[in-house]
Amino acid sequence: MKSTRSKRLVIWIVGIVILLAVWEATVRGGNQMTAWPYPSGIFAAAVALLADGTIFAALGGSLQRVVIGFAFGALVGIPIGIAMGVMEPFNRALRPVTESLRAIAPIAWIPLAILWLGVKGNAALFVVAYSAVFPFIVNAADAARSVDRNHLRAARSLGASRWLILRSVVFPSALPQLFTAARIAMAIAWSSIIAAELAVGIKIAGGGRSVAGMGQLMVETLYVKRDVNALVFGMLVIGAVSFLIDAGQRRAREKLLPWSQKS
Amino acid sequence: MVTEVMTAPVLEIRGVGKTYVSARTGEAIEALVGIDLEVRRGEFLAIVGPSGCGKSTLLSLIAGFISPSKGEVRFNGQTVTGPAPERGVMFQDYALFPWRTVTGNVEFGPFSRGVPAAERQRRAHELIKLVGLEGFENRYPHELSGGMRQRCALARMLANDPELWLMDEPLAAVDQQTRTILQDELLRLWGDTQTHATAASASVVLVTHAIDEAVFLADRIVVLGRRPGRVKAIVDVPLPRPRAGVRASSEFAALVEHVWSLIRDEAVQAIAEEVS
Repeated sequence: MKSTRSKRLVIWIVGIVILLAVWEATVRGGNQMTAWPYPSGIFAAAVALLADGTIFAALGGSLQRVVIGFAFGALVGIPIGIAMGVMEPFNRALRPVTESLRAIAPIAWIPLAILWLGVKGNAALFVVAYSAVFPFIVNAADAARSVDRNHLRAARSLGASRWLILRSVVFPSALPQLFTAARIAMAIAWSSIIAAELAVGIKIAGGGRSVAGMGQLMVETLYVKRDVNALVFGMLVIGAVSFLIDAGQRRAREKLLPWSQKS
Repeated sequence: MVTEVMTAPVLEIRGVGKTYVSARTGEAIEALVGIDLEVRRGEFLAIVGPSGCGKSTLLSLIAGFISPSKGEVRFNGQTVTGPAPERGVMFQDYALFPWRTVTGNVEFGPFSRGVPAAERQRRAHELIKLVGLEGFENRYPHELSGGMRQRCALARMLANDPELWLMDEPLAAVDQQTRTILQDELLRLWGDTQTHATAASASVVLVTHAIDEAVFLADRIVVLGRRPGRVKAIVDVPLPRPRAGVRASSEFAALVEHVWSLIRDEAVQAIAEEVS
């Protein structure tokens, strides 16, 4: 059992090494080292970016905006969504607005956001908050609407007031779906921040220096340094971060909602 | 004056009818017509009938979850306009809150009514012990067996000390052995003695499709007919209490057979309609 597992691991590592070697050889052999990334170059770029802390500063800038935007989305989206779910008139009034706003891709707001908020990072923050709010609204409304009827009846017959039902029945019922909403919102926020920073970052070439994020770092890498290997390293970091965030959210759900696991 | 209060029925159902309008076809469906019933103080009443006879609708009307289209339901002389903690409900699917532990579920009623924490914890502990869930206080409903969930739902209902227990097929989802044990326990909790019918004891309205269960538990059995749902017969159950040894008696078997004879034709018809 143990030997088969380690054998498999060896085969896996050997496979990866062969793949990387073929990749390296192809790029070097074809003399395409400025246009195409290659493993040793990516490794060197990684060492350089990690050593001088550039990558951490960029990552910190992006993550800070994602966290703020995400928190805004949750704090605004969840109450609005739950209110829409439990109050039909409110739902009828607000639904056309949320549905039409939701249909506009967050990235399409970038030009206006830049015009209104400038390139100092607020435009990107706006786009992230905008992208995060809708998954929360839509899922909170749906979850609040689909609370088990007998749970509501049980709470009422046990003497719960409307407010207590909202707090102690509707909200906890909605929690599993809100965690799903959080994963969606985070995924959209993280991809939107990169897109927004890429768009905002172009202004760097014009001289101004905005608050750096992963997007700006990549724009700078592309137009100023022309380093494809650093670009690929940036992409790998972005992928790794979204993977870690998603894994963290799944763990958080397991820890915080022990009752929602399937037995 | 005191005797009058004591002998007045705890629940009166006067000329109650319930008509639903189908959302899809706009057709009016009569679920119940002309229901007249009384539940005496301390009485255990069972409602049986073929599927589609409106048993659960009647229970929802008494609980106050829905309002009658005609007539009225009176509890302690007051017209029922909504649910209240004095009328405790146990649901067929238990409707336990999955995000609350056993203790959290049992405490919910007193918590809702603003009972201080120490008092409601004491009460919850006492009830958990009474229904035999000691050691499972911190389990979530999904970690319990069907029989244990049923006990938890019972304890949750009892935590408010309701005067009237409304039970919608509470034992339908557990296996036969568990069911037999829980029937005995239900009677024990209710107070299965010959002198039980006092103003102090709780009254029960239990909906079931199991005729033997109704005969075993109840003082009277209301037999509902279908299309539309109406009272077809009310059968007295003169079996002595406590009932523990009564299942093997010939009187028990005769009563089960009698109630079944009242339902049989419509039950067969109901099944035939479900199949077609």
